[in-house]
Amino acid sequence: MQGGNSKPRLNIERHLFPYYLIMPALLLYALFFILPIMSSFLLSCTDWNVYRKAINFNGLSNFLVIFKNDQFQKAIANTGKYAVVTTVFKLGLGLLLALALNRQLLTKSLIRTIFYMPAVISYVVLGLVFSSILKMDGLLNHFIHSIGFASVELDWLGNKFTALYCVMALDIWKWSGLCMAIFLAGLQSIPSDYYEASRIDGAGVGQQFRNITLPMLTPVLGINFILSFIGGITSFDSVYILTNNGPGFASIVMSTLVFTYYTKGYYGVASAMNLMLFIIVAFISIFIAAYFRRKEVEL
Amino acid sequence: MSAERTWRKIRLLCFEAMMLILTLIVIIPLLVMVFGSFKNAQEASLFNLKPPTKWLFSNYAYVFVHGKLGRALINSFIVAFGSVGISIVASAPCSYILARRHTRFTTSIYNLFLIGLFAPIAIVPTVFLLKYMGILGDYWGLILVFSAVRMSFCVFLFSGFIKSVPREIDEAAYIDGARPTRVFISIIAPLLKPVMVTNLAITTMSVWNDYMLPMYLLSSPSKWTMPLTIYSFFGQYFRDWNLVFADLTITALPMIILYLFAQKYIVAGMTVGAVKA
Repeated sequence: MQGGNSKPRLNIERHLFPYYLIMPALLLYALFFILPIMSSFLLSCTDWNVYRKAINFNGLSNFLVIFKNDQFQKAIANTGKYAVVTTVFKLGLGLLLALALNRQLLTKSLIRTIFYMPAVISYVVLGLVFSSILKMDGLLNHFIHSIGFASVELDWLGNKFTALYCVMALDIWKWSGLCMAIFLAGLQSIPSDYYEASRIDGAGVGQQFRNITLPMLTPVLGINFILSFIGGITSFDSVYILTNNGPGFASIVMSTLVFTYYTKGYYGVASAMNLMLFIIVAFISIFIAAYFRRKEVEL
Repeated sequence: MSAERTWRKIRLLCFEAMMLILTLIVIIPLLVMVFGSFKNAQEASLFNLKPPTKWLFSNYAYVFVHGKLGRALINSFIVAFGSVGISIVASAPCSYILARRHTRFTTSIYNLFLIGLFAPIAIVPTVFLLKYMGILGDYWGLILVFSAVRMSFCVFLFSGFIKSVPREIDEAAYIDGARPTRVFISIIAPLLKPVMVTNLAITTMSVWNDYMLPMYLLSSPSKWTMPLTIYSFFGQYFRDWNLVFADLTITALPMIILYLFAQKYIVAGMTVGAVKA
């Protein structure tokens, strides 16, 4: 669209692609998604709660309060742990499954269908099924008992050391199939002559993986990473259904903490916590996107 | 040579068998749910993997009546149809312009939409916005928020797809005298069918399955969607796991069916979007 003859085409462009076709989507999105985010910057600096009529600005004191708050510290630590552990496992398992399915298997599409299945089922359904399995008299303890380790039987969701890991396990179980599908698409987009050429040059399987597969997968890895990591940071349903922050506050995460303060009626504090979540997500996505873009350029 | 080939084939078959066994990790929890849903309460509370001794279809009839599942199904359908309809009808023309025109304005709008792919929703202000507008607790409030939340993903997929459609098509139609809206509706929209199916399926699933937004935005149980209804049912009937399992199966089934039918489009959409980005 540049150059000397741009004038007539630009005219066509203005008529052919009018801005008013953007408007319905933009208005809806701006009103119901962007506006609340913008106003949460303001709300976070107020003492607004359900017990008082007037709303006053109180500067950054909400943030001072939440940083000193035990539950907030616990939630930040849990959220970080949750995001890191689930991302590592989802990406690792997803990649292994994708590599396995990238071979000439007869039942490849059946296996792929099954592994992807949990991604389409609600957390409420999966959470309740998992809680039946993880109960004191549930399937997992039956299994442990039957292979002769009766002493390791546990109330998995009621134990403060295992509760959060059980939630993570559900998350990993649910989303590894999606990671696999994305990796698989990436693997299939690698031209097979790369492998043939390197085989002629005498490269082994390990070398091929390091020098062809992994570099070619970098963009897909980036997307999987962002999806998993941000999914982990913002997770709500899994924790709420499986442990409801318990036992005590052992498995509380950021989103469920926001909900706790919202139901108590502390709207200003809840907004401030939600805003922290937003800022963390914004930072991480910008950082990860920049990192993977630089990697791509290097290649 | 041929011996080596046979050997390789056997090894691949063993590998395949191993992968099939591995799928049990996914299948077993789902089997626990489906088998459990046909058992009697006592059998279900043993939490084992045995098939039911007697298949009780009556569990399903029971949860439909006592679990208010009929109402919940209707609610879920209303919310899903509304949100999916609005987000697709609004995002398709928007993506068309964003993909075709490259001005500072369209670029910043596109970037604004990208924020929504990752950013968590600011839930407290949203609740009070709906309250202020008088649609808190109403289907409309939930539908509009869901559409806004899902808009980013729809715009992202649509505009990625439209970029691969040659623009000569719309220019030719325009020169033949068609109005811009006409060009979009009769030339571009029909070409979008595959990615529209993708958006439809993915948006339906995320709306149907979501628990958090309906919990914040719907108060009266008569408007609850499936996830809220079954969670509250679980609260009352936590001793009757057979009924809970039947409830869960009914909630999961529509999305599993949708997935099996639209699988090609769903996986393609999720992955094409990912690979292109």
